[in-house]
Amino acid sequence: MEAKVQQNQTQIKKQSSESSLKHLISFGWMILLTAVAFAAVALNIVPQNLVIPLILALAVVQVFLQLFTFMHLDFKKHRLTVMFMFTGIGIGVICAVALWILV
Amino acid sequence: MSTAELEHAKTSAGLPPHPERATMEGRNKVLGFWLFLGAETVLFACLFGTYLALKGSTLDGPTTQELYKIPMVAAATIILLTSSLTSVLGVLGLHQNNYKKLMFWFGVTVLLGAAFLGLEIYEFVEYVHEGHTFTSSAFGSAFYTLVGTHGAHVLFGITWITALMIQARRRGINLDTAPKFFVASLYWHFVDVVWVFIFTVVYLMGKVG
Repeated sequence: MEAKVQQNQTQIKKQSSESSLKHLISFGWMILLTAVAFAAVALNIVPQNLVIPLILALAVVQVFLQLFTFMHLDFKKHRLTVMFMFTGIGIGVICAVALWILV
Repeated sequence: MSTAELEHAKTSAGLPPHPERATMEGRNKVLGFWLFLGAETVLFACLFGTYLALKGSTLDGPTTQELYKIPMVAAATIILLTSSLTSVLGVLGLHQNNYKKLMFWFGVTVLLGAAFLGLEIYEFVEYVHEGHTFTSSAFGSAFYTLVGTHGAHVLFGITWITALMIQARRRGINLDTAPKFFVASLYWHFVDVVWVFIFTVVYLMGKVG
């Protein structure tokens, strides 16, 4: 019994240290994506007409990283929360693009 | 969760590994908060669309290229991105039922948030000196509405987390306070997500032209 409890505890510890590492790795990726976006604009290394699509794509990737690692969103476990957020994103994109183009 | 289970969770020494979802109230709080964040996304999307439509209407005032300074934006970005990491480390403290870790990392988050806000106020004062104000042009109005609304969210976030820390000092981590911290950290990540789009769409795209 005691051994089992101990095993359980080490398992919990293992899980938490793993997830801490997961967050640090995802933070590293976010810093990298941000650095690439700033460099693309500041250093003039990317063709002019590709800069804006590139930095927008980098922002989208970074937001998905935040949602699924830092904010603990999970497609299988929390379907309803995912649906709420993506409905918001869907309507938001339509509103933003419409205002941008039509005004 | 049945009441018997709840009693067990309250009386046993440790909290369940995910205390924010251990009670019906906690689960509903998290779910409701995601609904709120979905609505906030639409709010910010509309402000972004308005900004993009009006950013060229400078009325002989300074343009985006003349105004924005990349190093200051980079500093603000690093500060806010790091605060997003520290708040997730605070949530890990919550999941490990580690009061000290929770308080330390959320404390760091509040300090970084305050630093970000200080930088933003400095930036706005600079812009006003250069003739870029809320009423100077349509670009000015759209810019300050978008970035100012984000800044107001940062201010609300640090006030909220500070209040939660005062409450946790009195009551510790339990099934009632745990969902509050979790939801506050969701809010903080969302504020960072919005900033990712602000530095991309407003500052970087403003520099490109």
